[in-house]
Amino acid sequence: MAKDLVVGGNTVIGPSILINGKLTGDEDLTVRGRVEGELSLTRTLIVEPSGVVKANVSVKNAVVSGVVVGNIQATESVELTHEGRMVGDIRSPRVIIVDGASFRGRVDMGELPPGRTLPERSARPQLRPTVRSLPAPPPRPAVAATPAKGAGTGASAAGRKPGGMPGIVRPEMPRPPVAPPAPPVVAAGAKKKVVLKKKK
Amino acid sequence: MPVGLIRKDGTHVANTVIGSSIVIDGEISGDEDLVIQGTVKGKISLRESLYVEGSGVVEADIETQNVEIAGRVTGNIQATDKVELKADCRVVGDVKAPRILIADGASFKGNVDMDVKER
Repeated sequence: MAKDLVVGGNTVIGPSILINGKLTGDEDLTVRGRVEGELSLTRTLIVEPSGVVKANVSVKNAVVSGVVVGNIQATESVELTHEGRMVGDIRSPRVIIVDGASFRGRVDMGELPPGRTLPERSARPQLRPTVRSLPAPPPRPAVAATPAKGAGTGASAAGRKPGGMPGIVRPEMPRPPVAPPAPPVVAAGAKKKVVLKKKK
Repeated sequence: MPVGLIRKDGTHVANTVIGSSIVIDGEISGDEDLVIQGTVKGKISLRESLYVEGSGVVEADIETQNVEIAGRVTGNIQATDKVELKADCRVVGDVKAPRILIADGASFKGNVDMDVKER
């Protein structure tokens, strides 16, 4: 039945409705009206801008765009949107308070968060290494390839890691920067090339 | 007011829906239609219509304008307009309303008071 689709998490408390007492459930709940007392869900509570909840709330996730007076305990997250106003204590591993939200109370992310943020940290580094490793390999083959092609300078290529470009001579240039013409230790092949460049 | 709008699949269009897994123990009041697919215990007072769908269970006193019951209701029902007990519903309690309809197949135990003023 299509009814079952509707049943799947479609509980809405309309704007003119007042519920006073205890509310429990296993589906998402959207509050546009008022709920007072006690509220516990195994899923998500959404308090829309017109919604007012004066209750002790125990849920998996809470998204507050309206008004909540009372304590919220969430097993996953609590989010106060820019329209959200709340007075009470929040106890949840993840607490998100957006600019514009109004909140007064305590926040307790528990002792687990460090343990939970660790995997997040490790997840970020995982990205970095992959990024590093990705660019790293290509240059190496490139360096290896250029000397191989320019076989004429094979001897010099063996010792030089940094310079892979046509200016194979350049790596030696910085060492005696002030004295480019100085011909002391430079190999014969290199000398000739340097001279050619200077002429250009 | 869009009282009693019904979708093609038979569900009601309303602002407020108490889903099938929801249990409310307390008092519900308001000025709009209410659809109950879950469980409500306590008291319900509305100025509009109440629909207790097939999966709905109500153990509460009800005061509304209209009531349509396809589920289970235990409690006294008082409506300013109409009470309709549909087929397959199970109702235990007193019913008081100017118009009371009991469909073939409905199960009902209690008093009926249509408030006939002629008496």
